[in-house]
Amino acid sequence: MNLQYSGEETITASADVVWAFVTDPEKIGRSLPEVLEVTVRDPTHVDAVVQVAVGPVRGKFKLKVELQPDASRRRIDMKVSGGGFGSAVDLTAGADVVAAGDATTLLKWSGQAIARGPVAAIGGRVLDAQAQKLIAQAFGNVRQQLSVTT
Amino acid sequence: MSDEKPAGCLGKAMKRKEDPRFLRGKGHYVDDIRLPGMLYLSLVRSPYPHAEIKSIDIGDAMKVSGVVAVITGKDLEAAGLGWLPTFHGYDKQMVLAIGKVLFQYQEVAAVFAETRGAAADGAEAVQVDYAPLPVVADPFTSKTDQIILRPDRDAKTNHIYHWEVGDKDKTATALASSPKKIKERIWFQRCHPAPLEPCGCVAEFDAMGRLQFYVTSQAPHVYRTALALVTGIPEDKIHVVSPDIGGGFGNKVPVYPGYVCAIVGALKIGRPVKWIETRTENLTSTGFARDYHMDVEIGATAEGRLTALHVATTADHGAFDAAADPTKYPAGMFGVVTGSYDFPAAHAEVDAYFTNKAPGGIAYRCSFRVTEASYAIERAMDILADELGMDAAELRRKNFVRKDKFPYPSALGFTYDSGDYEKTLGVALDKIGYQALLKEQAEKRARGELMGIGFSTFTEVVGAGPSKHFDILGIKMFDSAEIRIHPTGAGIVRTGTKSQGQGHETTWAQIVGEELGLDPQNIMVEEGDTDTAPYGLGTYASRSTPVAGGAIALAARRVREKARKVAAHMLEVGEDDVEWKDYKFQVKGVPAKSVTMKEVAFAAYTNMAQNEPGLEASYYYDPPNMTFPSGAYVAVVDIDRETGEVKVRRFLAVDDCGTIINPLVVEGQIHGGLTEGFAIAFMQEIQYDKDGNNLNTNFTDYLLPTSLETPAWETDKTVTPSPHHPIGAKGVGESPNVGSPAAFVNAVVDALSPLGVRHLDMPLTRDKVWRAIRAAQVVTT
Repeated sequence: MNLQYSGEETITASADVVWAFVTDPEKIGRSLPEVLEVTVRDPTHVDAVVQVAVGPVRGKFKLKVELQPDASRRRIDMKVSGGGFGSAVDLTAGADVVAAGDATTLLKWSGQAIARGPVAAIGGRVLDAQAQKLIAQAFGNVRQQLSVTT
Repeated sequence: MSDEKPAGCLGKAMKRKEDPRFLRGKGHYVDDIRLPGMLYLSLVRSPYPHAEIKSIDIGDAMKVSGVVAVITGKDLEAAGLGWLPTFHGYDKQMVLAIGKVLFQYQEVAAVFAETRGAAADGAEAVQVDYAPLPVVADPFTSKTDQIILRPDRDAKTNHIYHWEVGDKDKTATALASSPKKIKERIWFQRCHPAPLEPCGCVAEFDAMGRLQFYVTSQAPHVYRTALALVTGIPEDKIHVVSPDIGGGFGNKVPVYPGYVCAIVGALKIGRPVKWIETRTENLTSTGFARDYHMDVEIGATAEGRLTALHVATTADHGAFDAAADPTKYPAGMFGVVTGSYDFPAAHAEVDAYFTNKAPGGIAYRCSFRVTEASYAIERAMDILADELGMDAAELRRKNFVRKDKFPYPSALGFTYDSGDYEKTLGVALDKIGYQALLKEQAEKRARGELMGIGFSTFTEVVGAGPSKHFDILGIKMFDSAEIRIHPTGAGIVRTGTKSQGQGHETTWAQIVGEELGLDPQNIMVEEGDTDTAPYGLGTYASRSTPVAGGAIALAARRVREKARKVAAHMLEVGEDDVEWKDYKFQVKGVPAKSVTMKEVAFAAYTNMAQNEPGLEASYYYDPPNMTFPSGAYVAVVDIDRETGEVKVRRFLAVDDCGTIINPLVVEGQIHGGLTEGFAIAFMQEIQYDKDGNNLNTNFTDYLLPTSLETPAWETDKTVTPSPHHPIGAKGVGESPNVGSPAAFVNAVVDALSPLGVRHLDMPLTRDKVWRAIRAAQVVTT
């Protein structure tokens, strides 16, 4: 099941601060929705365990996150793969960090995901909306944490 | 000597002997077996339909409390157990994935643990690193060979086989010159038998090192032989027991990877291992049914006389060719696609392809592709009737194989044993009140209401079968019976079949009772234990009564011949002066001088004179031909134009299964099969999306009909015995599932025909019917 998403967050912080946040594997890992555990492997790799509930499908997903920052374009790409309870998800997401004036920064993000297994089959009717909500929540978490930080 | 009344019991509606134990919850199933020290097996399954396995890490799994061992495909490969042969014999199947996975939910690793929960937790903890590969989710993409799914095979193509039967040139010529022709692609969707008890097993090596294998198997002896061939364990060191089975429908014919893993685990760890599938595992990885895309062409004269039939089928077999067809019949009995009709020319061909879907193909009460064949011809006959502007019943009647043409050699190579199709249809038309229904339909159509009448006048072929044609893994498809009559006239019959709800404990006893004049209530039936039952090929494809039923009757007659000697001694006459009449032995011409079998049985152990003591016999029956049950089914439906809801107002099944052993059991079989046919027609499909995700993994997405949806069935019968079967029986278990889907669909299409609808593929869900109505309305406005 292929899913496509996009959105944007306006963050009350400078582009430098936002860039520093989104390239920090620990902070990105902590921004994942319903995150339970975060283990930073190296500056661009982090493992995370998240709680997933899609329709009647509920359980833990183990995710491997790879950050691919491009400082020259202030763009961060992210590959997330993993799964649990017989399901798998492969997600790619990208975000552009754009200074928006008035000490605010625009985080424009888009992504696509492929879900397989029970999470796609059983959760099929609600998966699209639920995934959109979770991804939006992830970037919303980034905004929220930056707002707290700043 | 005796004034007891005759004990004939063939055709009597005896209540099923087995039911009290089932109704009281006293059945004994595989999951009821608990052995000391028993471990539980859980399988790691792939979420990917097609992917390279880069690594498998079992480290975390081994740390889970209670986990004892984990094995992978590489472990099995090293032990020479990486692959198992499919029952069809021309392909093999990975036990646990080696190198890559080929369908979603394929078995990847096996986890053994102290409890079922620990095994599941351990399976969850196995880390598999997959690299996804492009997915082939339909046979039409597969046939392009742009992605080769099975590089392990010599032939670098996804094409599995081409099979054909009939006269291709004659058929093409006849079609080309036919004044009337129809052509339609008719798809019989992928569905699944979904027995309420999923598959499972318990494997134990006993103190003597002998494998005790308890398993949900419809064919225990074939399992024993197959396990000996796969594992190298000598066959005498394997004891297969198939206890009570909660429904099979063909799903419990193949040997599944979980069985092999359980045996390997029991051997490696030295403790018993139980494996019981989950519902999702059953629906996603075990034997599915159908998935035949059939291009059907029929030629006819302007008056509706059939001239030719051509059917070209594209078959989706999934990742492995695991359709358990007889060796010479890769497309099973699809050659029965000429149905009940006298086609002067016919040609059928099937091309099968691998896809990234679960393997299987012939399950669900269908006698080796007979359901697909029956559905194709019965659907196409309605399309032809529409083309000709003829009444669908009249077109059928006009083209039936006539009663006096039996034994009838069909254009596709079968010799039909017997039938009286006009009579059966006549009973159906009378009982349903066809003329009154036509009048009602005309009135409703004038008011814009949607009412449909659908027919299916099918013939199926069952009872595989004659050894010159039929085998599984080279083992000829005979069956067997062994009968022992005890001194008191009670007895036991053992067969190579295995009931999964068919009522063998009753019907087999009735055959013995009929042949020997004994009380069937005191004839015990035992099946499913390879240490005690004679070798047989099992129960599927409606073969039990046509094959094992014949073996039982003939074994009983051998008992009778032995008893005749004892009777002669008791009656103090020569053996030639004794005749079997009115269910007892009597002196020819002196009916008053007689002995019952019960009396003879006692004498066989107490007063046998010079005769061999005891009273028992066995028979291995190799049938001379298949049997050809038939039927005339009529469905009457009303469709709500606004919602697309189809209400099956009436459904009449008139079956002709030859001699009826027990009408109560036959009616039960028909009710069950009709209910499954109803589910297939209106609810059931195993769907895959284009990425190879199985979308029907549980009973909220794959529906079983309840009493609320299921129509009230009406039944009737005609009886045309099989001339070659010892008691004239043909078998009935699969007829209602074979015959009914076409009747339902024909009725719905008939209802929608005023809107211009010519064909709809199953399942006819409410939204599909609603969309068809909407589309027709858009076109007409």
